[in-house]
Amino acid sequence: MAVVLVLGTTLAACGSASSNDSGSDGGDDSTIKIALIPPTSGALAQFGTDAVKGWQVAADMVNAKGGIDGHKVELITKGTDADPATTIRVAKEAVTQDGAQFIGAVMTSPEHAALNAQLAGMGALDFNALGKDDALVGEQCSPNAFHIVQTSSMDLNGLASSIDEMPGDKWAIMAVDYATGHSAADKFTEEAEKAGKTIVSTQFAPLNTTDFGSYITKIKDSGADAVFAVEYGADGVAFVKQAEQFNLSSQVKTVLGFNMVSEPLFPTLGDSIVGYYNNVGYDVNADNDLNQEFVDAYTKANGSAPYYVPADNFLAAETLFAGIEKAGSTDPDDVAAALNDLTFDSIDGSVTLRGADHQLLRPSYLGQVEGSGKDLSFKILSSAEASTTTPEPSADCKM
Amino acid sequence: MNAAQLLNGIALGSLLMVLSSGLAMIYGLRGVTNFAHGALYMSGAYLAYTLSDRLSFWAALVLVPVILAVIGVVLEMVFFRPLQHRSHIELGLITFGLALIAERLVVLIWGEKTLSVDPPPGLTGTTSVLGVDYPTYRLGIIVVALALAAILVMWLRYTRTGLYVRAASQDIETAGIMGIDVNRVSLIVVSFGAALAGLAGTLAAPYVSLDPNMGNSFLIIVLIVVVIGGIGSIGGAMVAGMGLGIIQTVSTVWSPSVAVVVPYVALVVVLLWRPQGLAGKRVS
Repeated sequence: MAVVLVLGTTLAACGSASSNDSGSDGGDDSTIKIALIPPTSGALAQFGTDAVKGWQVAADMVNAKGGIDGHKVELITKGTDADPATTIRVAKEAVTQDGAQFIGAVMTSPEHAALNAQLAGMGALDFNALGKDDALVGEQCSPNAFHIVQTSSMDLNGLASSIDEMPGDKWAIMAVDYATGHSAADKFTEEAEKAGKTIVSTQFAPLNTTDFGSYITKIKDSGADAVFAVEYGADGVAFVKQAEQFNLSSQVKTVLGFNMVSEPLFPTLGDSIVGYYNNVGYDVNADNDLNQEFVDAYTKANGSAPYYVPADNFLAAETLFAGIEKAGSTDPDDVAAALNDLTFDSIDGSVTLRGADHQLLRPSYLGQVEGSGKDLSFKILSSAEASTTTPEPSADCKM
Repeated sequence: MNAAQLLNGIALGSLLMVLSSGLAMIYGLRGVTNFAHGALYMSGAYLAYTLSDRLSFWAALVLVPVILAVIGVVLEMVFFRPLQHRSHIELGLITFGLALIAERLVVLIWGEKTLSVDPPPGLTGTTSVLGVDYPTYRLGIIVVALALAAILVMWLRYTRTGLYVRAASQDIETAGIMGIDVNRVSLIVVSFGAALAGLAGTLAAPYVSLDPNMGNSFLIIVLIVVVIGGIGSIGGAMVAGMGLGIIQTVSTVWSPSVAVVVPYVALVVVLLWRPQGLAGKRVS
């Protein structure tokens, strides 16, 4: 059943509800407690900080309008080193000691995989806005986990339609050595070969690699004329800057990044990334009222426009709020049931939470960096609808 | 392995050489495992970022080691000297705490965002060497590190202060009885060691990306280098740093997953073969 939620209008109406009129049978009647567990150190720390900002803006917006069905939103911000064991420990602490019913801002796919296995026991729901591994909606899926961000397959399917239009026939793959990197490399290889391209080199570098010299040398030696790169945060910066020092651009015609190049890194990466292609999970210029309201609020609160990390976390919050609104309850079981096949309006347009695997069906974009100096930005080259990018629900996912 | 990969190993080894020689120097004299050495290196890189932006990279290359030398003086006067009779574990824990404080300070001043520094004009692009086009900046690091190694060895072997450092590193109490002002020697060594960490940070700034965790990831490798080289041996640390840089690069070419454990395997193998490290107690 589809429910259309216009967040601003609905929440304005909700504002008149009494804070005691919860209609809830779970947890604290007056407060929706959401534990945020982002990485606070290492290469991913900046993304963790920005994920919290997305949730904070969402919470501030609904609280300013009286909450959801009268329930105020309380964020309980924790921290992790992105190690799954640490994240599980912190999540359990947040649920059992702080009374959190919902979890957000967890970053990596291995953390989500570990968390998914524990959520039912904890009685909490997790909203994954960052981990892209396909297995999270496959064999690692959970009735308590909701996959807001596009999976690697969705993003890659979005890019796939454009691979044959990108210059270069011999591709080198340079990916981070964990789940997302491997699944992205596998998927890209499949799609590139379908497009008649050749993969001449595939390398995986451990997370927190500082020296890419030997990897870049191997790319040059492979004779590649295009590179598909899956490196994040500090690793991505190191790879891009060192590729520039090795003059890799004299050999390759195309660098296609996968979550490697994003707006916060533009000042750091500078003109060396002009012409780089990258998947863009979120179009900041999307022409809809909810997006405009979010962009204005985020920019006012943080001094800069949002990019995919805070935006996807805001979308996670929108999804949770839509579920609570539909359920008329803050009980995690009721919210989980209400979210199945729920369609609602969001900053990314009309989206649907697919009940079979809890994947949010939303578009994917391909962008290219343009401009120079302080005016670098993504030019959106193409948009692929969820119907063309999203694989059928995996038979391995047992809800 | 081609010439470019060999140069990659030498460039990484050069950086390890500069960083580990400072750590070995401080350990040799004060007996302190300075867990703050990675934080000094990170601070040097961030200072280089700001000074390169405001002045120039070359100014940073001079000023950052000077600033870090002053921090080294503070370390010696406030912590190492007053606490020299306390157990090494206590001092090690203090330096560990200082590292955590430094990391937080860097986040407060520069933020969590990953930063980068461009190589200075004249060292951008590539230069043809050994038949391959290789980044000029990395060649610059190799030249600076080798020059520094030569200067360090000459200083230790052929100057009076170097003689005092070697004597105090062998046995600080006997050196004091023989009339050497060990406090003065220690002050020189700790400030010089910190300056070397600053120099390594400055050299690394255009080489790697800057993030507040960069010191921790390098510290473990550098500690291994110092142990392999022979705890307290500056020459041993330099040889081990270069060797490990090359071995790690070679193993990365072969298998990146295996390369991650190479430093630890090297540590075990060397300690089984020569428990005193490659150079033992020989300082230079």
